[in-house]
Amino acid sequence: MEFDWSSNQRELYAGMSAAVAERFADYETSADPELVRLAWKDAASIGLTGLCLPAEHGGAGLGALDTALGLEAFGHSCSDMGLVFGVAAHLLSCAVPVGEFGTDEARELLAGMAAGDLIAGNAMTEDEAGSDVGRIRTTATPSGEGYLLNGEKSFVSNAPIADVFVTYAVTDPTAGFLGISAFVVPRELAGVVVGPPLPKMGLNGCLAARVRFEDCLVPAGYRLGAEGSGGAIFQHSMGWERGCLFAAYLGLMERQLTECVDRVVGRRQFGRKISGFQAVSHRIARMRQRLEGARLLLYRACWLLDQGQPDVTAIALAKTAVSEAAIANSLDAMQLFGSAGYLAGTGIEEQLRDCLPTTIFSGTTEIQLELIARGEGL
Amino acid sequence: MPLEEVTPRIRTFISESFLDGDPGGELTESTPLLEWEVLNSMNSALLLNFLREELRVDVPLSSITAANFRDIAAISKLVSSLMTVPAEGV
Repeated sequence: MEFDWSSNQRELYAGMSAAVAERFADYETSADPELVRLAWKDAASIGLTGLCLPAEHGGAGLGALDTALGLEAFGHSCSDMGLVFGVAAHLLSCAVPVGEFGTDEARELLAGMAAGDLIAGNAMTEDEAGSDVGRIRTTATPSGEGYLLNGEKSFVSNAPIADVFVTYAVTDPTAGFLGISAFVVPRELAGVVVGPPLPKMGLNGCLAARVRFEDCLVPAGYRLGAEGSGGAIFQHSMGWERGCLFAAYLGLMERQLTECVDRVVGRRQFGRKISGFQAVSHRIARMRQRLEGARLLLYRACWLLDQGQPDVTAIALAKTAVSEAAIANSLDAMQLFGSAGYLAGTGIEEQLRDCLPTTIFSGTTEIQLELIARGEGL
Repeated sequence: MPLEEVTPRIRTFISESFLDGDPGGELTESTPLLEWEVLNSMNSALLLNFLREELRVDVPLSSITAANFRDIAAISKLVSSLMTVPAEGV
C-alpha cells in the first residue's frame, strides 16, 4: 500500500497549481459569455481542457488519478468554481466518451475539444429523468444516413456557450436502460435550440440552459458506441466525473482551510487570537479531518479506475464524502469568518453557494447511498 | 464455471437484490428484465459489480447490450462465454 504521490505527480500538481495561479489568482467569477470564453482559453492554454484525452488528439493522455490531481490544482488556485466545474464537465462527461466510443468522424471533434476551441455540454438531464437515466424521453429515430433527434434537455451545463453537445436518446423503447443511445451533436446542426441562461444560486461561472432538439438530423457517424449502449456509456462517463471532477473540490477545501487558518490566527478577541479558543481550533481540526478522509476515498476511486476496476461502491463513497465535506467545511468557514464571510464578495459565501449543488449533480447523495447500501446486500 | 452453475448464481442475485426474494416465484430464465424494468440503470450497475466481484467477470462495455441483458438466460450465456476467454497475457 502506497499513500504518497510519485515525483511525477508532485511535479504535475506543483506545475499546474503555479500555472493556474498565474492566470487565475486575480480572476473574479464572471457570467458574461465573452469573458467566460476568454477564461476557457486561459484554462485550455495550460492543458486543462484535455488532461485525459489521447495525445494524438491534443490531450495529455493522463489517467484518472493524474487527471484528478490536475483538476485539484485547478480548484485550489482558481476561485471561480463555476469555470472549474464547466471545464471538468466538458472534459469528463463529454470529451471522454467521444474519445473512447466515438467513430473516426466523431473523434475529429476531439482536437478542438482538447484545445478548448470547442466547448461541450452534457445534455442528459430531462424534466422527468435525473438520476434514473432510463426515464429519458428524447428519441432518436433512424432516418436516411442518420437519426432524427426530438426532445428537450432541462439542465445542460455550458450550453449557452457550447459548440457541441453529448446527448442521450431512446432508440429502442422496449429495452429500457439499454435502449438508449449516445450521440455527439454539433450545435450548428439545424434543429438544435438553446434556451436562455438559467438563473442559479451558485457556480455562476458555468452558464447553463435548456436545450431542445427539433427534428435534428444527426449523422450516424456521430453516434457513440453501438445502438443501445448509451446507458452504459453514460455510467462510464459518470465514473470519471464522480471521481475526477470532485477532486476540484478537494482543491477548494484546501484553499478554504488555508484562508480559515489565516483568519483565526490573525483575528483577536478578548485579548487573544481566536484560534486559542478550543471551539474555534477544533472546528479547523474537523475541517481537516473531513478533507483528508474524502481525499483518500477519491484517490482510491480514481486509482481503481486506472486499474480498470471502476468500482461502483468506491466511486459512490468518494462522491458522497467529498460533496458532504465540501458543504460542511463551507458552513464552518462561514462561521469562522462571521459577518465578514456572510458578505458578498469576500469569497466565503461564494464557496458555500458553489458547494451546495455537489450533493445533487453527477448523481444525488441519495442515489450514491443507495448504491453503497445495496453493495452491502441490503 | 459451466452455464448450469452460472445461471442459479445470477438468478439468486437478481431475485434477492432486486425482487425482494421473488416471493411469488415469478422470476424465470426468460423473464424480460429490461422490459419490466427489473434492470434499470442502478440495478445494472449493481449487477455488473456482482459479476466482477463474485464471478470475476468484467463485462466489456461493448457487450452491455439489450440482447445480452434481456433475461437471465442471455446474461448467463454471456458470463459463461466471458469466463472461457483466457485473460490477456496468460
